[in-house]
Amino acid sequence: MAGATSTTGARLRRGAISLGWAVAGVLVAILLWEAVKVLGSIITLPFETSDQAMPHVWTIAAGALQPEVRGSDTPVWQTVLIAAIYTLVIAFGGFLIGVSVGLLLAIVMQRFAFLERGLLPFVIASQTVPLIALAPLIVGIGNRITIGPLEWGQTQSIMFIAAYLAFFPLSVGALRGLQAATPTQIELMRSYAATPRATLWKLRFPASIPYLVPALKVSAAAAVVGTVVAQISTGGRGGIGRLIIEYSRETTSQPAKVYVAVIGAIIVGLLAAGLVALLDLYLTRNLPKERLT
Amino acid sequence: MSTLAVHAEGVWKIFNEGAANEVTALSDVSIDVGKGEFVSLIGPSGCGKSTLLRVIADLIPSTRGTVAVAGMTPHEAREKHQYGMAFQQAALLDWRTVRRNVELPLELAGWDKEKRKARALELLEMVQLQDFAEHRPWELSGGMQQRVAIARSLATDPEILLMDEPFGALDEMTRERMQNELLRISKATGTSVVFVTHSIPEAVYLSNRVVVMSPRPGRITHVVSVDLRDRNEDTRESDAFFESVTAVREALRGRVAPVGEGGARLAETS
Repeated sequence: MAGATSTTGARLRRGAISLGWAVAGVLVAILLWEAVKVLGSIITLPFETSDQAMPHVWTIAAGALQPEVRGSDTPVWQTVLIAAIYTLVIAFGGFLIGVSVGLLLAIVMQRFAFLERGLLPFVIASQTVPLIALAPLIVGIGNRITIGPLEWGQTQSIMFIAAYLAFFPLSVGALRGLQAATPTQIELMRSYAATPRATLWKLRFPASIPYLVPALKVSAAAAVVGTVVAQISTGGRGGIGRLIIEYSRETTSQPAKVYVAVIGAIIVGLLAAGLVALLDLYLTRNLPKERLT
Repeated sequence: MSTLAVHAEGVWKIFNEGAANEVTALSDVSIDVGKGEFVSLIGPSGCGKSTLLRVIADLIPSTRGTVAVAGMTPHEAREKHQYGMAFQQAALLDWRTVRRNVELPLELAGWDKEKRKARALELLEMVQLQDFAEHRPWELSGGMQQRVAIARSLATDPEILLMDEPFGALDEMTRERMQNELLRISKATGTSVVFVTHSIPEAVYLSNRVVVMSPRPGRITHVVSVDLRDRNEDTRESDAFFESVTAVREALRGRVAPVGEGGARLAETS
């Protein structure tokens, strides 16, 4: 019989160990990067390893500290950080919308079998539309929408695209989760004359958590990718996507700059993953450890 | 005589009626269960014993025939929490503590928090799990989980317990202990029990009457009355016990003439 009290401590310990591995992973990545450069100077590799294409790690670090433009007070890292936070906020908005829509879809699909048959193909088809094709379309349509004082701008378009990518893994995962309660548990609820709503809240929703948690992780990643790609393809100002485009034009003069922006994008992804991990810890607090993903 | 716990008359259950894959699960089944009586349904797989239990519980509708549970229609009885159910799987909710699992039917019946908690603790004491009230179900053994499920089925103080092979997944020793516990509880609470099982000794040990069913189509072929005074560990080795076991076994093999055409009108009890 496992002690219920030790679980929190054990989780924290596991968390610290994962953090250690993550740091080790970053160090290995840096070493590999430099190793490839050294190798490229000795033999000919099928790709460019010059300082122009692959600047040294310390060049990138120095690049981050340089001023944004000549004579300006703001260093590159600060611009990237602000853009990263802005991107994270938009991705988070898209994630929230996507999760809400995905959950709602899953609930109606679970409740009405005919809707599952009718909607699921469209849900799947929605993801086969290439994002690059979708982005200008949404911006074009969105520009004509004004609801009272609310105006649909580029930010809304980008958030919409993030939500469009985020809802899918969630709705599919949540649908499986809502169907995960055992037939016996469902008969039991029926024997208590439980309403569909009570069955949803007291049985189906909590039983879906082990399916919901991985779906949330995938959705969060999708929201971040969706935001960055949408920022690139719509040229949305203020975000990390736009910075990557701008800095990549300056590679001849400042090759390190674009890598600083890319690292910024990676940090956005990691922060998003971290937030979902916290949510995961909360949602699975009452479940047996074997179920944790 | 007061109303019967369960009264079923001429019950038929035909799945996919009229279609090519039509299956007659219950054919003209009649059964009465008196108040406080313990009746087991036994028979090979596919004999309709679980189907009959589900018809009584209003989990599936009957095709034809009348069913009354505690003097009401099965639907009313279900709405009014007149029966409690237990299955082969304890089907406890992992995310709730043991106590809150027992509280679940009370929550759905609209009890307030304090009364719920008090009642759940009382029931856990009855199944001797009061020390595990705040544990999670997955920290308990299979037998303990099944005891929680029994406590939960008794939460609303139902007239009737409907049990579908509740000890089927337990080892023999735990199983016998659980049988004693169930007898003690049903006696103490005066609850009527309809108990589905595969096990002949289990049916005999627990029941006032053993209803023997046979498949294709599912029907009642025999009703064996069991008369075993106080049941305890010695009972399991008594001659009367073995006689009843033999009687049920013969009935299952079809060695004794079945009771009347198309089902059994059972003797009134208590």
